Amino acid sequence: MTTREFKTVGTAVRRVDADDKLSGRAQFTGDIEVSGMAFCRLVTSPLPHARIMSIDASRARALPGVYAVLTSAELVNMETHYGSDKKDRPVIAIDKVRFQGEPVAAVAAVDLATAEAAVELVEVEYEELPTVTGIDEALDPSSEPVHESNFCHEYGYEWGDVDSAFRECDRVFEDTFEFPMVYHYAMEPHTCIASYEPDRIRLWTSAQHPFLVQAEIARLFGRQLDQVQVVVPFVGGGYGSKSYTKIEPLVTALSREAGRPVRLALSVDEAMRTVRRHAARGTIRTGVMNDGTIVARECTGYVDTGGYTDNGVRVTERFGDRMPGPYALANVRVKTYGLFTNSTPAGSFRSIGGPQAIWVCESQIDVVAHALGMAPFEFRVKNLVREGEEVRRGRRPIEGDLEYALRRVADEFGWDSWTSGPTPPGVKRGIGFACGVTNSGASPTSTSLVRFHADGSATVYIGSAEMGQGSRSVMAQIAAEELRIPYEKIRVVASDTSAVPWDRSTGSSRSTTLMGLAVHDAAIDIRQQLLDLAAEHFEAFPEEIEAEDGRASFKGESVAFAALVRNMFGGSGGELMGRGYVTPKHASGKLRQDPVFWEVSIGAAEVEVDTATGEVRLLRYYSISDPGKAINPKQVEGQDEGAAMQAIGHTLFEEMLYEDGQLLNPNLVDYRVPIFTDLPHEFETVLIESGNGPGPYGAKGVGEGGIVCVAPAVANAVFNATGVRISTLPLTPERVWRALHEAGQT
Amino acid sequence: MRPFRLHEPTTVQEAASALADAGGGAALYAGGTELLLAMKSGLLAYDTLINVKSISGLDAIAADGNSIVIGASATHSAVEHDPLVRDRLPLLSEVEHGVANLRVRNVGTLAGNLCFAEPHSDPATLLLVYEAELDVAGPSGSRRIAVGDLQTGSYETSLGPDELLTAVRVPAFQAGVRAAYSKFGYHHRPTLGIAAALAVEDGVVADARLALGCVSPVARRLSRSEDVLRGERIDALTEGASALREVSRLASEDADAVEDMHGGVDYKEHLVRVFMERTLLRALAKNGGGDA
Repeated sequence: MTTREFKTVGTAVRRVDADDKLSGRAQFTGDIEVSGMAFCRLVTSPLPHARIMSIDASRARALPGVYAVLTSAELVNMETHYGSDKKDRPVIAIDKVRFQGEPVAAVAAVDLATAEAAVELVEVEYEELPTVTGIDEALDPSSEPVHESNFCHEYGYEWGDVDSAFRECDRVFEDTFEFPMVYHYAMEPHTCIASYEPDRIRLWTSAQHPFLVQAEIARLFGRQLDQVQVVVPFVGGGYGSKSYTKIEPLVTALSREAGRPVRLALSVDEAMRTVRRHAARGTIRTGVMNDGTIVARECTGYVDTGGYTDNGVRVTERFGDRMPGPYALANVRVKTYGLFTNSTPAGSFRSIGGPQAIWVCESQIDVVAHALGMAPFEFRVKNLVREGEEVRRGRRPIEGDLEYALRRVADEFGWDSWTSGPTPPGVKRGIGFACGVTNSGASPTSTSLVRFHADGSATVYIGSAEMGQGSRSVMAQIAAEELRIPYEKIRVVASDTSAVPWDRSTGSSRSTTLMGLAVHDAAIDIRQQLLDLAAEHFEAFPEEIEAEDGRASFKGESVAFAALVRNMFGGSGGELMGRGYVTPKHASGKLRQDPVFWEVSIGAAEVEVDTATGEVRLLRYYSISDPGKAINPKQVEGQDEGAAMQAIGHTLFEEMLYEDGQLLNPNLVDYRVPIFTDLPHEFETVLIESGNGPGPYGAKGVGEGGIVCVAPAVANAVFNATGVRISTLPLTPERVWRALHEAGQT
Repeated sequence: MRPFRLHEPTTVQEAASALADAGGGAALYAGGTELLLAMKSGLLAYDTLINVKSISGLDAIAADGNSIVIGASATHSAVEHDPLVRDRLPLLSEVEHGVANLRVRNVGTLAGNLCFAEPHSDPATLLLVYEAELDVAGPSGSRRIAVGDLQTGSYETSLGPDELLTAVRVPAFQAGVRAAYSKFGYHHRPTLGIAAALAVEDGVVADARLALGCVSPVARRLSRSEDVLRGERIDALTEGASALREVSRLASEDADAVEDMHGGVDYKEHLVRVFMERTLLRALAKNGGGDA
């Protein structure tokens, strides 16, 4: 294999949006004003579970300045429910509310103050129903059903002879671990402007998947796809919270009612009642031989999807896919269940089901290793799945050398030579390790269009939403590389369904791999056209032409690409168009198997525990990232460190607290997200470029791996420091102190 | 947030009259870091906010005898960085540096923090050991109260509906006082705050002031613990004399800790014991005199 020399790929180029974002010029949905726009405020349910007996909006409608009030009575001549897998979410509550904060009515008014005043005039009569809080109450058959039942989804798979394996192995361990409800905290809460017009619907919205929103709105309101335009300006952070469709149907229905554009910008409080991560409980039975060989794992899991399905189906499945871990297992049985409760609906969140699954898997691996008297690191290495082997039957084999990756992290961390060193009285230090593989990539379907202009510059059209991850820069790098022109000559137009060709979504670490491939192919399509034109120009064969720095050359002579284009059109103007289609049947042959790739995650942590207070301080954290090929190394590190930093939240602080169905901490004062002072003193990403991803140049996604190993690595380190195993997150000082106290450690 | 009128008085008297005229429909507004959050979330609603920042001179920080007088619209940052405060009340400067975050400190005021009476306040606890006093003005004149007489409960004070706090008077510690403040918690507001000021003469604790905050609705002095400390030899305390544990035990007994998102009662009582010992040892370790 020859090593290709790249011009911009592999370089930490300046982001294409850097100047706009640093100067404040970058436009987010909240910056947009549409002529005649009305302002929306919501009437939300104060009760977590209730029948709606009546809604009287007459006084609100009579208030001067109010254009419309939307209730379920207005949902006529349209579909009323939406959702990605199960269409169980009403555009606005119909007959019943299923979580505190569910929109019951929506007001459109001349300004926010009038809308807020009108909200107070809407009278809603409820009949309270018993509340279902948490997994245990959802499983209790005597609980009130949130929907037809409290089971949203069931998933499972099995291979080998699990029961025989458990009978024949030397020892069996069974442990249960809990993961809390957490909120994404994208700095920009959900914001949407909808304009319902006779011949079209226009939306400006903070969405990750513009084309899925387009399809959902078209279906709900009986329009053709070409009649629905969804524009996604810069998004102020997504992390899955803006996946699929959120507030867009409500705002569109209200715009239809008001006869004018309507804007709704949620507060943090309201965003926390729009979507969250699934709380989870997982139990693993592991059968081992005395030599440390794992012969069987049986995983049972529950995820709490809240009041509506949202992404509960896929999360239930990924939780199950990921729970057995990256181990060579001859016998596996997995059952997972998604459950409804009266709480904020749970949807996508960076590595869906991943942090929950790896928390359970990797906490238990340490429990078993300790019981067998084996070093946790060696126990993992002994049981790892090898490169090219299937980690899940019938799925894509593992495409990287996990043992090498584990040893790299251990070496860089200094695992083998670590000692606690002197500590103050009552302070203990320890180290912990975790690893996991997550099936990423979503469906391999993207398209791209590239226009090559008559002056040698190019415009790249992509459906990917730019939510901070830097997709526009990476796509510009790929296009520049394949068009053989400088990076600065590329402009990227993104996420406007009327301007850019179709893309499935921006999530699951998929854009660099899949949209990147579409851009790559579209650029090559143009390069081929340029080579054909140059061949004609030089009276040579296309294969004989060299293309570099915006020029085609043959036997010492060269011509600018721009001149070739102008000559083709016989004048001063003209342009070439290139297209890239990515489907499961892509010519590379790399997209036929599911998943598109496995994202590898490894974490090593050193912690300090103040046994007097229970405070856990993360001193050092090492993470691995294998982007296959780092198209922009700085952005790869940013993704990995950002994901790990976000995980510090659910590991140490973050938890949405519910009492009787009421969210107790719906603000950033009481809901504690990580801040810069929480950064470990040493926080390193170990970059491996294995070159074997299905994306351009062997690239694959890295947006999520960093989030999954922090919690188990830290809890394993706390165990290493104190000898106390904590099975519930987050590891707040009080929870850790109570665990130490019970174990007689304080 | 519901719209409100912003009244901008230029004198204290004008502010007091505006408060009286509004009959409960108005609130005083300085930094707004607590008030506006509560109004945005709909917990509080006022027709009128009276901006005390428009009263000239109310942000002054000046010496008056042994005390430093801090005007009601002086921000946490202004207090933290003021040369007089740094020189004469270094512990106050240190504690102000740790209040919330830079954005809050740059607009939030010390007096506003006291008047909002949120139970998790660093300065409210610390000022008890300084034995600070407050100047309060109303339509019928002004009065002076001890800082400990201001807060009566969560978000409740003894101020009349037409009164406003105009200044915080903080006397410097006597020479030889060793003082320290500890806070603990992972939320943005502290879970616990403990302040200790020990006057040491000839190696013996001549006087002790201890205050505990955040674990219950109102910060308090711990007189039983103070009594135990008086007369104790500091070298014995530093070596972990039983008096240290007795002081901590009494402190946790007198804490009246309440359960909330910051923790259960037993955990908070435990934290009081841990941090009372830690705070006393830190204070005693400061043998250079003054409160730094």
